[in-house]
Amino acid sequence: MSDIIRREEFGEVAILYITTTSVDAISAAAIAAECQAMRPITVLDFSEVAFINSAGISALLKFVVSARKAGYKLFAMHVSLHHQKIFKMVEMSRFMPVIEERDLAEYRVA
Amino acid sequence: MERVELNIPSNPIFERVVRASAAEVGSAFGFSTERIEDLKLAISEAVNNAIDHGNRRDVGKLVAVVFEIDGEKLEIRISDEGGGIDKVDVGRHTVEEANLEAGQLRGFGMYLISELVDDLEVSSSHRGTVLTLRLYRRGQP
Repeated sequence: MSDIIRREEFGEVAILYITTTSVDAISAAAIAAECQAMRPITVLDFSEVAFINSAGISALLKFVVSARKAGYKLFAMHVSLHHQKIFKMVEMSRFMPVIEERDLAEYRVA
Repeated sequence: MERVELNIPSNPIFERVVRASAAEVGSAFGFSTERIEDLKLAISEAVNNAIDHGNRRDVGKLVAVVFEIDGEKLEIRISDEGGGIDKVDVGRHTVEEANLEAGQLRGFGMYLISELVDDLEVSSSHRGTVLTLRLYRRGQP
């Protein structure tokens, strides 16, 4: 486990809290390494992320690739409006849709 | 005209220094928070290109970044000391299923820059490449 990602798991869900403020060339490798430990429903939490560039997007795409290979679902949560705009520009949102915290409530109860 | 100049070694950690400076310059220019985020991302992409593709991470080579505020215009020039490039593709580049299958997960930088700034120029020679980004105060959302 890296210092850059904090995990929370319940049932089939893993929430990966990205704890760095910059998802960039410096943090990309450590973030991407976590794609080896996904769950059937994996949620990347961006609440602490202030900046994402294309090196960071490449790291996030490794989660997309891993999820597709395993048949898992991948979501993003607490994505700022600016980052939602960037994800839309590169059509990342097609492969990692944004969900709300309340959408996970049923899984937490189960 | 007001001018800020930075020179960083070709180590990606120093891209963060340029990005922090971009935020301050954007703020001084009177940009909105959203426009500052656009500026930071565009400059980040340009600087990373200069570090990776221009100077090939040779820390002995510098990336020069010049911010110039001139009236309603903010111009940023990012220069590397590489061998130059033949062609720049600023076309739309999005995540495609075929690229995911092929493991091609990079290449969004120039497209993002072109979308986030008002004007982009590239000049290149055997002495290096210069990206000139222009953003206008009146153009902000």
